[in-house]
Amino acid sequence: MNKIMLFAHLRDEAGAEYIELQAEGKTVADVKELIAEKYNLTKLDSTMSAINEEFAEDDEVIQKGDIIAFIPPVSGG
Amino acid sequence: MSDRYSRQTLFAPIGFEGQRMISQKHVLLIGAGALGSGNAEVLARAGVGKLTIIDRDYVEESNLQRQQLYTEQDVIEKLPKAAAAKKRLLEINHELNIKAVIGDATPEVIEDLCREVDLILDCTDNFETRMLINDASQKHGVPWIYGACVSSYGMSLTIIPGKTPCLNCLLKKIPLQGMTCDTGGIIGPAVQMVIAHQSAEALKILVEDWEHIRQTFVSFDLWNNQYTNIKISKAKDEGCLSCGTTRTYPYLQSENRTKTAVLCGRDTVQIRPPHDTVISLATLSKQLKSLGYEIKGNPYLLSIEMAEQRMVLFQDGRALIHGTKDITHAKSVYQRILG
Repeated sequence: MNKIMLFAHLRDEAGAEYIELQAEGKTVADVKELIAEKYNLTKLDSTMSAINEEFAEDDEVIQKGDIIAFIPPVSGG
Repeated sequence: MSDRYSRQTLFAPIGFEGQRMISQKHVLLIGAGALGSGNAEVLARAGVGKLTIIDRDYVEESNLQRQQLYTEQDVIEKLPKAAAAKKRLLEINHELNIKAVIGDATPEVIEDLCREVDLILDCTDNFETRMLINDASQKHGVPWIYGACVSSYGMSLTIIPGKTPCLNCLLKKIPLQGMTCDTGGIIGPAVQMVIAHQSAEALKILVEDWEHIRQTFVSFDLWNNQYTNIKISKAKDEGCLSCGTTRTYPYLQSENRTKTAVLCGRDTVQIRPPHDTVISLATLSKQLKSLGYEIKGNPYLLSIEMAEQRMVLFQDGRALIHGTKDITHAKSVYQRILG
């Protein structure tokens, strides 16, 4: 299983700090698509992603036990 | 006032030499809202040589909850933020050399200033200006510090040309409909936390302590007790058009800027985003209604009532701002809602 950490509006939309998902072998983009549908998450296409606290591109493949984080950039200032 | 900076020079990583360096540096602050107020105050108190502050807005009542330089009197007088900030900062430190620019941070204005500043602090409320700062920073070799916050959530990143990835490496495009303080609300502590991260990095840059620059993208949620650092060293993209091997600095080009036009005889400004986009009107409508805005609409457009203007927003991101002929003000109204 993989832990997927959610921040800002994603956390509010999913109603949880993280979700658990079998994501091994999938890409970051696959996971975005999957959780967007399952949890009705919005604006994932402009969200930054990290695997094990390291910045990850959309085509990066997720390994067993990896922790994924989705961090939406905000613009207020 | 010889004692003025004694507690700061006692701090070993700064010392007398660091203080001398701080006093000779020029910092450009873009935006004089919440982040701009706080960062400007830290730098003015720290004894920075020169500050240039750019802002296009005036002080409003809803700013007072978190924008620390402003007073009720500034609201009554509807003072431009850059002018009100200058007045207050000179009360704090009369030796400060400060220039207030009241207007839009256009590519021309930013590029001109890049030739004379040592650091740019991003205190804006929109990604279009941030991407513009990012390109100008790369082109002229000036470091900049991204900072942003909404609700109880904040983030920051330090960008040093030639050393770190840039914002375009990480985002690849302008995120439209990023949450703003006008759509998601904001609490003062989230602002202060971003200011603390930005201004600490600013001091390191001013004393040229490159070794201690934070190498991560930091984000936090003060209400939900989250604090995360993402390593970004591998994110540097050689194909990046802002900092890679073949650079075009796309955000300094006019075709990538928001288009505006005054509609003759209608007291209306039309605003068009630089690229095709689809806005979720239903989501935005729900958000704005919960904040007390009066919203009317249909599947094609939203009509949003504001204090002095009415904004009609279409699904493709185009908007009509009724009740003004001032392009800069209209753009400010638009970006407050859409980021």
